[in-house]
Amino acid sequence: MGDAGVFGITVSDLLFRKRQFLIAIGGAALVFAMTLLLAGLAAGFSVEINATVQSFGADAWVVANASSARVASLTPIVGSAAGRVAASPGVRHASPVIIVPQTASVAGVPPVSVNVIGLPIGGLGTNQATQGTDVRGSGEAVVDATMGLGIGKAFSVGPRTFTVVGVTSNRTLLGGQPNVYVTLGDARTTAFRGADLISAVLVTGIPTALPPGLTVRSNQAIEESSLQQMSAGISSINNSKVFMAAIAAIIVASLVYVTALERSRDFAVLKALGASSATLFGGLALQSSIVALVAALLATVLAQFMTGVFQQPVSIPSSAYLILPLVAIGIGLLASLIALRRAVSADPAQAFAG
Amino acid sequence: MAQLEVRDLTMEFDSGGYIVRPLDKLTLEAEDGELIALLGPSGCGKTTLLSCLAGLLTPTSGTITFQGTDIGSLTGAAVAEHRQNTVGVVFQAFNLLASLSARKNVMVPLALAGVGRREAGRRADELLERVALSERLHHLPRQLSGGQQQRVAIARALVHDPPLVLADEPTAHLDHIQVEGILLLMRELATAGRMVVVSTHDDRITHIADRVVELVPNASTAEHEPVEICLAAGEILFEQGDRGNLVYVIEEGSVEIFRERADRGEELLTVVGAGNYFGEIGPILNLPRSASARAAEPTRLSALTVRTFRKRFPSTVREARAG
Repeated sequence: MGDAGVFGITVSDLLFRKRQFLIAIGGAALVFAMTLLLAGLAAGFSVEINATVQSFGADAWVVANASSARVASLTPIVGSAAGRVAASPGVRHASPVIIVPQTASVAGVPPVSVNVIGLPIGGLGTNQATQGTDVRGSGEAVVDATMGLGIGKAFSVGPRTFTVVGVTSNRTLLGGQPNVYVTLGDARTTAFRGADLISAVLVTGIPTALPPGLTVRSNQAIEESSLQQMSAGISSINNSKVFMAAIAAIIVASLVYVTALERSRDFAVLKALGASSATLFGGLALQSSIVALVAALLATVLAQFMTGVFQQPVSIPSSAYLILPLVAIGIGLLASLIALRRAVSADPAQAFAG
Repeated sequence: MAQLEVRDLTMEFDSGGYIVRPLDKLTLEAEDGELIALLGPSGCGKTTLLSCLAGLLTPTSGTITFQGTDIGSLTGAAVAEHRQNTVGVVFQAFNLLASLSARKNVMVPLALAGVGRREAGRRADELLERVALSERLHHLPRQLSGGQQQRVAIARALVHDPPLVLADEPTAHLDHIQVEGILLLMRELATAGRMVVVSTHDDRITHIADRVVELVPNASTAEHEPVEICLAAGEILFEQGDRGNLVYVIEEGSVEIFRERADRGEELLTVVGAGNYFGEIGPILNLPRSASARAAEPTRLSALTVRTFRKRFPSTVREARAG
């Protein structure tokens, strides 16, 4: 059969049954949109870690030998290590940092999990605020916008009370947990009860030798190690994406199968007029691929409006937009296989039945 | 050699495990330009014959030769080509694709044959004009009357200019005014270069047909005295699918009534003994025998016409015994 013939009959049938096709397209589009959002969620973990790590402006991190190198769970080292690292060969600048997940209390709302990040005034990574000012003294804080606190608002972490002097954005860790930037001293008070401890030393330049017990980690190593901490969550999300794709396939397959059942007589007639089983399957495959592709296109629009559903950062990678239509076509072909038997088993002699 | 030759055509089906034989050694011939009417009641094999002619069914035995080609021997692509180029079919239930306009429905056979859209459209317009539907080109089937749908179906059957047009009960769903138009159109279509075969149980077509094929010859109704028949043990009296006009009463001995199964085995239905009768349903209802009868032992029977049988057994018809 001429391709134009298959295409014409397929499109006409799509238009003829537009109501049921639109319902399936809507359902599949919602599922596809969820798939995109899940891809965004999985990518979001990596994006937030990268944004936080890169925002310090360091070339490398000096951490305890035994440390996991996960940014939010570094093994503490003594504060004096910063001075010794600064004197190490290859280091241009060294700046201590404390990063410890803690609980913040805000009047009138339930406690919020935050990442307290302590930096010395003027040290690496202190230039964080996109609104207001950076931290200039004890009791001041710059918070991520997801915390929902405006400039001048107060909150407390442990025994310390802070006033928000600046707000930043896209500074979260551990799946959307907001960062709170304070002075090194305040962080030491809240995280280590005033003990002279720090989490790491941020350095520019790459140290060629370090004091005993310390080791250097690149930004990339810190990011990879931190992301590994989220691997179970990311794996679950990726598995959910497979389930979503399966649901989309079931929706499209159900539609195509029901349509094929309704078109049994049409198939018999077309065979009686000289169509082959391959031609009929081609029409079904085209029909289900069109449905899946339209659903995928609709999903890319829907996903933009659905990102707010999640507390966690959602960063849909452009590769997901490129892969989705391919997945959609694959799902369409798979769905048409379900209806293949209807097309192949259509008996042209049935066209004579009255 | 005639343009269409059907020789000893037999078609068997498996129906619920039993063999049904709607066509049994049918032979007929027809020439180019003829209008052939296949007459007979439902179930007599008219549609089966059309399906065989269209290459949709492969005969159990026998041959169908059209323009020198044995249709029954065609396989694969050759069958599809036969359907696409040689045959045009008008179905009883119209069978238009509900999602396509009249024009697109007519274009389908050409699209299947790979003819370009523009050429197919031009040809469809031409054919729809011929069946007086130029004003309904873009109407969907549901927007057309039964007669109009049948005319679209006829245009579709003709669009690729096939030399053989098959029409299955083309007037079955139409009122008498529409019937007249369709019958005249059928007559008009059968001209040099095209043979038209119409199956129908409407005998009005016999007046305009060139050839009438009665698939079920009327059973003889001639009255005669009962005839005595003697059978040796194992001798067959009649076979499943045979037509007959006699009812049998057993005077001595017994007869086995059995059915031929699809797996070629036999299923014994009953054994009829002396004083009983069998084989009454077929002659009374003018149906083929639904089972075979064979003497279980040396047997003497009386063969009665239906009228004599009903006089002798006024409380008939009771249960079917190898009708």
